[in-house]
Amino acid sequence: IQDDHKLSTLELEEKYGTSINKGLSSARAAEILARDGPNSLTPPKATPEIVKFLKQMVGGFSILLWIGAVFSWISFGIQLAQGAESPFDNLYLGVVLALVVILTGIFAYYQEAKSTNIMASFSKMIPQQALVIRDAEKKELSADQLVVGDIVEIKGGDRIPADIRLIFSQGCKVDNSSLTGESEPQPRSCDFTHENPLETRNIAFYSTTCVEGTATGIVINTGDRTVIGRIASLASRVGNEKTPIAIEIEHFVYLVAGVAISIGVLFFIISVSMRYKILDSIIFLIGIIVANVPEGLLATVTVSLSLTAKRMAKKNCLVKNLEAVETLGSTSIICSDKTGTLTQNRMTVAHLWFDNQIYSADTSEDQTTQPFDQSSPSWTALSKIVTLCNRAEFRPGQENFPIMKRVVVGDASETALLKFAEVILGDVMNIRARNKKVAEIPFNSTNKFQLSIHETDDPNDKRFLLVMKGAPERILERCSTIMINGKEEPLDSEKAEAFQTAYMELGGMGERVLGFCHLYLPENEFPDTYPFDTDSMNFPTSNLCFVGLLSMIDPPRSTVPDAVSKCRSAGIKVIMVTGDHPITAKAIAKSVGIISATSETVEDIAKRLNIPVEQVNRREATAAVVNGMELKDMSLQQLDEILCNHSEIVFARTSPQQKLVIVEGCQRQGAVVAVTGDGVNDSPALKKADIGIAMGIAGSDAAKNAADMVLLDDNFASIVTGVEEGRLIFDNLKKTIAYTLTKNIAELCPFLIYIIASIPMPIGTITILFIDLGTDIIPSVALAYEKAESDIMNRRPRNKKKDRLVNEQLAVYSYLQIGIMQSVGAFVTYFTVYAEQGFLPSTLLGVRVDWENNAINDFEDSYGQEWTKYQRMYLQWTGYTAFFVSITIQQVADLIIRKTRRNSIFQQGLFRNKVIWVGIFSQIGIALILTYGLGHVTALNFTPLRFQYWFVAVPFAVLIWVYDEVRKLFIRRYPGSWWDKNMYY
Amino acid sequence: ENKHEEKVQNPNREEDKTKAEMGSKTWADLAGEMKMFLWNPEERTCLGRTAKSWGLILLFYFIFYTCLAGMFAFCMYVMLLTLSPYTPTYRDRVSPPGVMIRPYLNGFTIAFNISQPSTWQPYVDSMHHFLAAYDDKVQEEKNIECVSGQYFIQGGNESEEKKACQFKRSLLQNCSGIEDPTFGYSKGQPCIGEAARPWHCISYKPGCLLFLQIIGYRPGAGVPVSVDCKVQKGNESNLRSVDFYPGNGTFDLMYYPYYGKMTHVNYTSPLVAMHFTDVKKNYLVPIQCSLNGKGIINDVNSDRFLGRIIFTLSIGK
Repeated sequence: IQDDHKLSTLELEEKYGTSINKGLSSARAAEILARDGPNSLTPPKATPEIVKFLKQMVGGFSILLWIGAVFSWISFGIQLAQGAESPFDNLYLGVVLALVVILTGIFAYYQEAKSTNIMASFSKMIPQQALVIRDAEKKELSADQLVVGDIVEIKGGDRIPADIRLIFSQGCKVDNSSLTGESEPQPRSCDFTHENPLETRNIAFYSTTCVEGTATGIVINTGDRTVIGRIASLASRVGNEKTPIAIEIEHFVYLVAGVAISIGVLFFIISVSMRYKILDSIIFLIGIIVANVPEGLLATVTVSLSLTAKRMAKKNCLVKNLEAVETLGSTSIICSDKTGTLTQNRMTVAHLWFDNQIYSADTSEDQTTQPFDQSSPSWTALSKIVTLCNRAEFRPGQENFPIMKRVVVGDASETALLKFAEVILGDVMNIRARNKKVAEIPFNSTNKFQLSIHETDDPNDKRFLLVMKGAPERILERCSTIMINGKEEPLDSEKAEAFQTAYMELGGMGERVLGFCHLYLPENEFPDTYPFDTDSMNFPTSNLCFVGLLSMIDPPRSTVPDAVSKCRSAGIKVIMVTGDHPITAKAIAKSVGIISATSETVEDIAKRLNIPVEQVNRREATAAVVNGMELKDMSLQQLDEILCNHSEIVFARTSPQQKLVIVEGCQRQGAVVAVTGDGVNDSPALKKADIGIAMGIAGSDAAKNAADMVLLDDNFASIVTGVEEGRLIFDNLKKTIAYTLTKNIAELCPFLIYIIASIPMPIGTITILFIDLGTDIIPSVALAYEKAESDIMNRRPRNKKKDRLVNEQLAVYSYLQIGIMQSVGAFVTYFTVYAEQGFLPSTLLGVRVDWENNAINDFEDSYGQEWTKYQRMYLQWTGYTAFFVSITIQQVADLIIRKTRRNSIFQQGLFRNKVIWVGIFSQIGIALILTYGLGHVTALNFTPLRFQYWFVAVPFAVLIWVYDEVRKLFIRRYPGSWWDKNMYY
Repeated sequence: ENKHEEKVQNPNREEDKTKAEMGSKTWADLAGEMKMFLWNPEERTCLGRTAKSWGLILLFYFIFYTCLAGMFAFCMYVMLLTLSPYTPTYRDRVSPPGVMIRPYLNGFTIAFNISQPSTWQPYVDSMHHFLAAYDDKVQEEKNIECVSGQYFIQGGNESEEKKACQFKRSLLQNCSGIEDPTFGYSKGQPCIGEAARPWHCISYKPGCLLFLQIIGYRPGAGVPVSVDCKVQKGNESNLRSVDFYPGNGTFDLMYYPYYGKMTHVNYTSPLVAMHFTDVKKNYLVPIQCSLNGKGIINDVNSDRFLGRIIFTLSIGK
């Protein structure tokens, strides 16, 4: 534990070998920098690139393919040793399989690296600067160059660049909320006030913000050794949960691998017991594995996810981890911050009270006018006070900016008032210039008011105008009259009552209320030359005229209520977690719909029924506002109960640590939890969440590091668009997988029939690879562009235990129905090709051994013609090509039917997704190139096919389409029926 | 109140589930789950389905596959209808013709020792068996005599039975196995320095028969296709002389065209016998015999049986 806060300045200078006036020498600083490393948080330990790469090489189906490749090489070795005629075929096959694994691995690695790079470049976008004294000179340095012993200067608005022991401070206040959760700015001075370094006032911590004042200090800790750094490294130890889509893909890989291995082993046994040679059986096994494994699918999934990630990035959701794209879609609870995410993070005037009436002001982001009634003379008076009794000013040179976007020098409330006045009255600075200020008492915490005295802009009126604003009750105390419709009326108890009611009402809305009053100083007592003295207050400060109230709030972003209601209809529970006061939190929650208008908290019910809180049936209350203090004393069960029983929950006055507790509580309910956060201390919660969402603007680097996603505009509504994209991609991945799995059966059946019926091989292993990695790739990616079939935001989030990506229905429908249809269609083509060349189907059965015998060169066909081995091989390749073409043609139909799972294709629109057509044309184009362009390269086993064979499978393609339309029709007609249960995937 | 208790227990159960999902399932759990999946006595389900559900799904698939099989059968039927029973739709892949030798036992190496009859007897038996169909008697009985030197073109209906020309075994003279039942394998035993006299038949059946009839394709375009043999690799002198029967190793035009198994029932492929009268002994001699004639291709690398045949002779004493 450090005791730097106890040391005197001299001791510090000695300890760190520095001088307060001169700072470190550059050479010394460089030395320390070399020893301690840069002043930045080490990002969570990244997996070494090579490990990432190797993971891609063995992940998913790669193992199966490696097994296939090894088997190929083994059989090559055996054949070579036996001196067989063409052992090299197997060598090549092994090489091709290995290449497939390596290339898809490289591809996946590249995709992942690309999305990681986006993030890396993002975090480097804004390098922090620090003002340092080195070599007795003030220098601007990049903050990561700071070393222990450096003397740094900070001023209001800066982020503290390291842990700093203050040696000089002037009105310095820091916002420690990201560290301790305290939302009030903490004063900082040079005095040692507390034994605990975290509590003492003379240390400012890395990554907190200096809100106001200036200070100078010695850097005592940098980088990971800072207090924040230690917390952040703690956070990185919170394990990363597997994303839902990763679980789904794993499930799918297991399923397909299970099918591949069981069929492979089964047929290995069958072929051995059918007295095939072991070597042949192994080669069959390879074929079965290759046919069963959708080699291109994982790459396709990656591409689809990154396409969605790109789309989301356009909508301001930057996804760090590709898989998080889908996680957002399955989110069932969002724990959202209030400030900045749900709200605009800017005080804005929300209500006014004058003439005994409450007026609402426009609080939207881009207000240009205010609609409330401004005809009353009271308003004129009030607006004058608002304009004049205000120290905030626009930074010069922003005349062309919209008022709401201009930068203001001044505190939040004054800024709000300034902008409010500017919107209504225009050119406030000019008004102030015309009403010259002669005296001013700024706001302080004892007076709780602010006062100024002005000349008026009316040349005939020589009176001074005294304007005052402050805490309403204090202002009222100083008033004896109240302005009603421009007339001063005595402030009787009735009027005071009205004031109280209005004040309570505005305060009850969680708004910060200010009272305004004025007084025209009589000309005879206060002539032109009257010397106003603010210290002795030689002017009246009581018996003023009360004019009105203004209340301010950090208003919700205008897009948020809509987004929250979308979440609600999408079955997503939005929980607000904020450090703010419960009343403000509840007010904002109500105004954005997190607590709906009709629902009540336990306290509301108690108030309505006029009974003690304890007697209320807790189940009747749908909403709950939980205070951080209550949460502290709660057992896990109690927390679970709250999370379970209330659909609308607000956690107020919570510390960032409690966020983690809340997230864990939600996860115990089986929910997929999204968490938004910006502070360093949010990072454990962000990590723990199924998807952590960091704020791009307000977020700290640690938060961004821990998060899976970064909201570039800090806007809650962006999350909702992300949810929509996530759900869409889940649906579309289902379609992609269904599409891809289907043809696996058409690739597998040939092997099975070849083994059982001993016909000439209908399709080659290489040909299969050309389908999986050639013709099918673009179409399956094209399905990622498919529009949603229905309003996906009206559905509940998927249940991660029940709604699997690849469910039984999908596998069965693809494998046993459409897949079998495809196989039949392809076999018709196969038999047609052979029959038209002289081998009738009956001749083909049981012919395998002789057919493949190299020595038999007078093989007789059904017509008595005799074929040499090579002529037969060529015919066999023609068969491969025909089978390939048939599968391709039927895959076109498969692609079209996969556009929808429930709706008719005609409802979905055949041409709405243009990319599908790109897919279809690419598919046919690639097939044409392979068949006619590469048909003469014998190693690829393609031959130029007679053109009519392209159409043999067309009836089956049509059948697939019609059958699927019928399937969908029945599903739509008879929801919940046997058909629906078994056929809807 | 029960409900309340359940709610309280719930988190624990959930936790168990997540734990199980994280892969810390024990084998016993897994086995139990598996058993439950195979047969759940409570809900009376097997593999997650009740008997009724299984019945329905099996019925569905029965109907589905029956229909699909029907469609397959129908397509095949239609396809077969379009085929002619006499001649294949396409014959482009089977021509130009390939070549094969007899005797053919285990590959294209003929190796024997003259002094050991057991080494050549299998070749002799194979030849006798092969030539049985060419016995003069059989040929005279079944086939007609044709006019030599011209194609035997038989017009008329496609479905009419076609006549075949006689190819008598005796045409092979020294290689017919009539005078010397050992086909020369045993000869030369006393005259050691001389060549042994094994012989080979090259059978040659052209493929595309009706095609010939229509277009008038003639093997060698009117000039009979002939055969020659040479050493494929190595010293030319290893093979000094070869005799060819019949007609100096030509395939007579009258045996063509072939009209296919269906109508040309008794067709016997014409043969050319080669009599290797002087081959280097105790030596592996690779020999290539090729067809020569117009339209014959005998130099394709990928197909070593197209218009030619390569085999090895190894004759020991």
